Amino acid sequence: MSSARIHIEDAWLRFRSYKNPSPALKEIALSGLRRNRDAKSTVEFDALKEINLDVRGGDRLGIIGLNGAGKSTLLKMIVGIYPPHAGTVTVIGRVTPLIELGTGFDSELSGRENIFLNGALLGRSYSEMVALEKAITEFSELGDKMELPIKYYSSGMLGRLAFSIGALVEPEILIMDEVFATGDAHFVHKSMNRVKHLFQSSQIVVLVSHALTQIVELCNKAIVIHEGRIVNSGDPIAMVDYYHQEIAGIPEVRGLTVTQVE
Amino acid sequence: MKAIEDIQKKITVVAPSAAPGSTDSLELPKFVNQARRSESFVAFIARTYRELAKVKFALASFVVNSIRKRYHRSVLGFAWSMLNPLLTMGVMTLVFSVLFHLPLKQFALQLFSGLMPWMFISESWTMGSTSILVAEPFLKKVYLPKAFFPLVSSLQALSNFIFSMASLMVIALLMGMQVGPAMLALPLAIGVLFLFNFAMCLVLSVLTVYLRDLTHVVGVALGLAFYSVPIIYPITQVPLKYHIFIKLNPFYYFLDLFRSIICRNEFPPAYEWGITFGISIFTVVVGLLLLKSKENDIIYRL
Repeated sequence: MSSARIHIEDAWLRFRSYKNPSPALKEIALSGLRRNRDAKSTVEFDALKEINLDVRGGDRLGIIGLNGAGKSTLLKMIVGIYPPHAGTVTVIGRVTPLIELGTGFDSELSGRENIFLNGALLGRSYSEMVALEKAITEFSELGDKMELPIKYYSSGMLGRLAFSIGALVEPEILIMDEVFATGDAHFVHKSMNRVKHLFQSSQIVVLVSHALTQIVELCNKAIVIHEGRIVNSGDPIAMVDYYHQEIAGIPEVRGLTVTQVE
Repeated sequence: MKAIEDIQKKITVVAPSAAPGSTDSLELPKFVNQARRSESFVAFIARTYRELAKVKFALASFVVNSIRKRYHRSVLGFAWSMLNPLLTMGVMTLVFSVLFHLPLKQFALQLFSGLMPWMFISESWTMGSTSILVAEPFLKKVYLPKAFFPLVSSLQALSNFIFSMASLMVIALLMGMQVGPAMLALPLAIGVLFLFNFAMCLVLSVLTVYLRDLTHVVGVALGLAFYSVPIIYPITQVPLKYHIFIKLNPFYYFLDLFRSIICRNEFPPAYEWGITFGISIFTVVVGLLLLKSKENDIIYRL
């Protein structure tokens, strides 16, 4: 079986931010009457510039950067949510985005029903989800609570459910955007181990996290994004150092203490 | 400057595998995300169809869940899909048959054949127009073709329509509806009306992203248009000189399909099929063209 790949060549993404994206008739009429407009109604800026990236099967890529640098935007461009206005993004393999926990979760439905709903949104078929349901339930450690409507779940439980679905639907490319924020230490550790062992040489994981220990532990490659550009790429520990020194402006921090817990 | 021009660079990935000795290089789905200005209309239709086919389980899940939720908490539950139109029709029949001095059963049948499709149209268009706007949480987190949510709305309205029709068939039979070979045309009539409604959902959902009041405008316009077609009044009540306006109204032909089948037990004439299919297909093309040109802009307006 051929492996997954992400190949981005010279991609630029121009982001449009509308002050009033869907105006009502009243607003259109009023803005016509007003002679002076204080601020422009749309703001355009290049959220991503000159992105060149090649990720192959077996890679686990970490993306580091300041808030607003473009990490999530890059993920969304890979997933296909935002199209680049120049350049090409080629993605080979089924993409499973975990961009926010529980995309499409319907709070009226039970955990079990949401497994199917979420799986459906990730492009799986009914029979695939039937086969995976048991494994997902076990991994999430939610037990009986699977039958409860998820509006009664805590944020940690939601996180566990969402992550279990995303990691176990056999993704070829798993995209994770700050998904470990709500997990407790036990679950985060378990998840990271699972990600490390579950993914064989043909799959790709892309992780955005501000918990840099996770990046170092999980990834074999990392890139640093600053103001829409990839400013450095390479070994995760070196990138974390670079990020601390150059970007975050904390020169005193050198290296990272990582406790390997098996 | 590259940032200003759209540069299309297609990469043909022939053998992407990193693992040596792999034979099948095209096994995995490939997704090329690029500024799609040069994509042809036909390619766009093909791509939309492919992408929708990939998520057909999601489509089904959304529609089924919405049906279940609608009746989940209500005591009478499913019965409401029958009670609602039944009560509406009951009151209207009583009132208007008195007003127009028409035989009750005949009028009830005429009303049934006009009101049911009209409610389908009305529900489709109003739900459909907000479908993309309210889907913002989904569209920003998962990739879904933009036609997905208009399609979901249309299918939800279709399922309500079928349930209502089916449950009221019994009443219709009591009112003297005759079942003949013309009934076979009923699924086709439903199909062409669904096509038209789906196409309007496409158009309205895109336009509403730019002008959110459009939902209200559509609601009011439909409320007025209700009187422009002979649903609650028979066409015989309209002075001949005004018939031309009714005949120019596209809704008239869609509704008349149902009226032919249900009231007159006749197979609708060919010219009516021609007009209705023609309008539907035209609207589908308009909707898809609109979607294609605005596809990339919409995501920034959500």
